[in-house]
Amino acid sequence: MNLRQRLVPYWLLGPGLLWLIIFFVVPMYFMGEMALRSGTLETGFTFDWAWSNFGDALSGRGEQITRSFFYAGTATLLALLIAYPLAYAIAFRAGRFKLLLLFAVIAPFFTTYLIRTIAWKTILFDDGTVVNVLQALGLAENGRILATSFSVIAGLTYNFLPFMILPLYANLERLDVRLIEAAKDLYSSSRQAFLKVTLPLTMPGIVAGVLLTFIPAFGDYINAYILGGTQNAMIGNVIQNLYLSQRDYPEAAALSFLMMALILAIVLLYIRFAGTEAFIGEEVEEGR
Amino acid sequence: MQRREQRKSAGTAAAIAAVVLAIGIAACGGDTVGGGANEGEVTTAKAGPVTGKLTISNWPGYIAPGPNGTVAQFEDSTGVSVDYIEDINENDAFFGKMQPLLEQGQSGGRDIFVVTDYMAKQMYDLGYLQEIDHADLPTVFKNLLPSLQHPEVDPERKFSVPWQGGMTGIWVDTSKAPEIHSVNDLFDPKYKGKVTMLAELRETVPLVMLAEGVDPATASTDEWLHAIQRLKDAAGSGQIRRFGGNEYTEDLTAGNIVAAIGWSGDASLIENPNAEWRMPTQGCTRWSENMVIPVGAPNTAAALAFMDFVYQPKVAADITEYVEYISPVKQVKGLLEKRGSELAESPIVFPTEEFTRNCTGQNTPKDLEEVNEAWQEVITG
Repeated sequence: MNLRQRLVPYWLLGPGLLWLIIFFVVPMYFMGEMALRSGTLETGFTFDWAWSNFGDALSGRGEQITRSFFYAGTATLLALLIAYPLAYAIAFRAGRFKLLLLFAVIAPFFTTYLIRTIAWKTILFDDGTVVNVLQALGLAENGRILATSFSVIAGLTYNFLPFMILPLYANLERLDVRLIEAAKDLYSSSRQAFLKVTLPLTMPGIVAGVLLTFIPAFGDYINAYILGGTQNAMIGNVIQNLYLSQRDYPEAAALSFLMMALILAIVLLYIRFAGTEAFIGEEVEEGR
Repeated sequence: MQRREQRKSAGTAAAIAAVVLAIGIAACGGDTVGGGANEGEVTTAKAGPVTGKLTISNWPGYIAPGPNGTVAQFEDSTGVSVDYIEDINENDAFFGKMQPLLEQGQSGGRDIFVVTDYMAKQMYDLGYLQEIDHADLPTVFKNLLPSLQHPEVDPERKFSVPWQGGMTGIWVDTSKAPEIHSVNDLFDPKYKGKVTMLAELRETVPLVMLAEGVDPATASTDEWLHAIQRLKDAAGSGQIRRFGGNEYTEDLTAGNIVAAIGWSGDASLIENPNAEWRMPTQGCTRWSENMVIPVGAPNTAAALAFMDFVYQPKVAADITEYVEYISPVKQVKGLLEKRGSELAESPIVFPTEEFTRNCTGQNTPKDLEEVNEAWQEVITG
């Protein structure tokens, strides 16, 4: 291989690498540096290796961190339970309506995230039909949905649902139906065929969907802010509050860092557990 | 094998590049962030020929709008083109957004901000504001209400000019909770989950202290913390539905709540005929919002001209008719009486001393850091 040929991969890597350095590495560096400063806005923040920021950032925040896990986890699970049958139906049963249904999945993106969340506030207001019906069924405690954990989880599920549907759909759509037919020819029931063929082959879609839903849901603060009450703050709300209201930039940076590390650790564990092949999807590709 | 090595070396190259860049940046960066860039060298806003472009940041719905509104009148009379932005919803959030720019001596192209008393003072103390020469504002100091001429936060009016004022008290839906008159009533279990309060420390906590018979102006740290604890318990029990800003007007409109701690002039934002602002039995807090000129403002001459312009009685009366807050211009009441406006009789727009006898200014606790930390814990419960 001559030199020019050998340099090609680097040239191809160049733009992406530059992007990552400018918009990821550099901000991360500034954040990390800020996390080690101490002081107040009035006296100025001075860099002095203030590792204690990390301890301060966590102290007293256990409840919000646990709550964020619970909310994001529940929303991810709900989204998966809703999205899988839906993606399956669109991929295999929609016929000529396939495009229309896909469009319907993406349609909410034409309105901004914020407006859609505020719209839920209007739909779920205390004297509204939705709440009255739920109350008659005994599902709306205290006669309300808004400003409860329920509304925050519902908002997260709704807002991140397309991120679950799309990878699942892309995966199911590529699925070779002849493999399912073969399973049935070999006397498997529909249930067995699903569990032993369809499900394992769609693991990459599930893994991607779960990551795309869980990660942003964990750090979200809009849903808790708009749909939540006094006891529903997530860790994103705490960070926002530290930055804008308390203006304790170092502690906010430290907390952001810790949350990022936590998410990274979880994702690595998860990929390990779910299998790298499932994540990258090599087996599926090679099998075709 | 070869491929793997290539991959490895690419990774190493990236890592080296990142480190080199980071070190480069570190070498350029200063030692301290914040702390007031312009301390000790406060500038005075320059007057001069009034031309060009003027950019103003204000709160939503806080000026007479439309083709004959305040901005249009100013443009017609001076030829200045005005960019009027309604991008302030909370003092803290606005400050958070502007602070990194102000620290660099820039204002993001803005010539005027409208911020509440304590925020104006905070910005001034950090060196983020320009001082104002009274000689450049003849109309302002001729027409400004005497009661607003020497406020605690800016006794000589060196850097702030009042825009509008207001009171923080209780909004009540009279069809659902007619008997709420005191802030203490908001803690009545009858209204569990049907009450909201404001998220700003200086709004909600002093009202609770007043209700407990404590004067917020002289309150000790313990008294602040005691009131905060009471609010924390009420939030924990579900008594208080949420803490927020302007959203309470929507909640009152939708009927989600029966009462809220809120601002006196918000009637136009609440579409609920039964909603009524009430002076709390034990008193309210009073505040003003002020026009200030930030450091780095590109057109201070036009900014000064605008400040002086809105103090013309006719212009000020137009604003009052639309926003229904308390005007700082002394001729407005007489002018509205002449126009036959009902607002001239409103105790909320023209509060008498008798009406506000129990009210205090907006107070800041002595140990702000400790009190604020306790309060923020309540809000992000």
